[in-house]
Amino acid sequence: MNDSRPSVLIIDDDPQIRRFLRAGFDLEHFAVHEEPTGQGGLRAATLRRSDLIVVDLNLPDMDGSNIVERLRAWSTVPIIVLSVRASDEDKVKLLESGADDYVVKPFSMVELVARARAAIRRQTRTDHGEMIVKSGPLSIDLANRAVYLDEERVTLSPKEYRLLQVLAKHAGNVVTHNTLMKEVWGVRHLDNSHYLRILVRRLRGKIEKNPKRPQILVSELGVGYRLTNGNEAR
Amino acid sequence: MRAVFSNVTEYFDSQRGRWLREQLAGILVAQLIVALLTAILAAAFQWLPIQHVTIVYLIPVIVATLRWGAIPAVFAGLSGIAAVAYFFYAPFFDMRVHSPAQIADILLFVTVATITGRIAVAVRKAKIRAQAESLRDALIGSVSHGLRTPLAAITGSASILAQSRAIEGDEHLSSLVHVIRDEADRLNGDIQNLLDATRISSEGLQPHMTWVDPEDLISGALASKRRALAERPVNLSIADDLPLAYIDATLIQSALSQVIENAIKYSPPGSPITIKAGQVGAMIRIDVSDKGVGVPNSELEKIFERFYRGSVHATNIPGSGLGLWIARALIDACGGRIRAVVPDHGPGTTFRIELPVKTQPAADENADE
Repeated sequence: MNDSRPSVLIIDDDPQIRRFLRAGFDLEHFAVHEEPTGQGGLRAATLRRSDLIVVDLNLPDMDGSNIVERLRAWSTVPIIVLSVRASDEDKVKLLESGADDYVVKPFSMVELVARARAAIRRQTRTDHGEMIVKSGPLSIDLANRAVYLDEERVTLSPKEYRLLQVLAKHAGNVVTHNTLMKEVWGVRHLDNSHYLRILVRRLRGKIEKNPKRPQILVSELGVGYRLTNGNEAR
Repeated sequence: MRAVFSNVTEYFDSQRGRWLREQLAGILVAQLIVALLTAILAAAFQWLPIQHVTIVYLIPVIVATLRWGAIPAVFAGLSGIAAVAYFFYAPFFDMRVHSPAQIADILLFVTVATITGRIAVAVRKAKIRAQAESLRDALIGSVSHGLRTPLAAITGSASILAQSRAIEGDEHLSSLVHVIRDEADRLNGDIQNLLDATRISSEGLQPHMTWVDPEDLISGALASKRRALAERPVNLSIADDLPLAYIDATLIQSALSQVIENAIKYSPPGSPITIKAGQVGAMIRIDVSDKGVGVPNSELEKIFERFYRGSVHATNIPGSGLGLWIARALIDACGGRIRAVVPDHGPGTTFRIELPVKTQPAADENADE
């Protein structure tokens, strides 16, 4: 087995789902390990190094969000949650307890792999101190607080930059409205969610080719915003 | 004679019959409780001659209401009054009521029995509703989980196959894989519609209102239908400075997705879909237009009825007749409205969604900092 292959731990009780996830991740050159239960999954996560954990929200022995919380207590490993019928509140709760992203069943492998790769990049960026994030024609230089669109410098207000910076750190993954509100305005303004809508609109005007049909800063209604990696099918 | 008898047994086995049987049983048991209480009170009366024992007869009334409903309760109340009048009001063993105190006592009893009876009826209904609701929620949960999990395995597997080089290169195989994926998608949409329909008709919708950019609604709905829209030109024209809408984003986005799907379904392949959004008076108006054969004037309202299928397409395009009904319920829940109109020029149908413009919230004073 090649050591450079990233490893994924899949925690899902349904054998057919595990089967296609194994095939899909294997084709993407991941080393795959499966666990059918939450307890087994938590144990496996401590015993072996994983570069990614994919966990089902409805496991027979444990709630997926519980697993996310317990993993987050000691690890920053990228986590993607699979859910069947999660409400917006559930999704927000999962993300705020530390999941990197979610996909709703049924989903395509392309979608899951895109989310997974984005989450893994978030981790490697932190590990290696990489400071440049790219999203299609947009490039964000976190070290120099500079933003370029097709190599042209874009002038942003401090709040616009702050918003883009938070999204860039999680590029490809969704960031909840609350997290963005807290990061840009602080906890006192959590009720003023319309500030965020208006700021997003202004920011889109500066970074999107067609702000009415955004390709870079997209909305996950009821949950948050996502900076796409530009080539994602959307 | 035998025929009559079998008719009667048949009647008693039918649903109405079962109800009648239960009511009769209720009346009987209520009478038995009244008789039992009377016997106990009569025995106690030897040592403790209290005339105003009417309150005791509230017991059978409440029991009967909780267990069987109003009719046995009324019987329980009447026989309770009769028992009091006959056994415990002087002169004893006489049905007639003599003193004003006794009349007041009976009036009081009737009042209290009516009030407690009404409360008991409400409690009983709430109990039945709670049982039905938890049963339905469990059912919906298991249907949704039980059907979606295998669907997820089908969709996921097909998505991997669609990408594999061996299949991508073969026209026939790749078209088959697409059939699997598209039909799995359709099935998933049908399941979602059924779940939505159950949710709307049984518990009503509880919208979670926030300020939402209408542009996000449109791009979100387009994104959710992107595969169905792949072969379609989409003409998008959104007015600048569209006000924010105060709505439940998820509900309105799924309504808009329903309307877009409807437009795709009932217009020729490759024909354009036009989405126009702007403010008209005190409303944010979103028009979704297709170039299909259109809806006859007489059916413009009917197509929003549950299970109604347009006469033109009922036979040649599969559908449940739920989509537009769901869309209307979702939009109504957020204080908006939707209707179908005949477009000004050209063939097709325009679905017009209107959302009220609320007083816009105060802007961030320090937006430029």
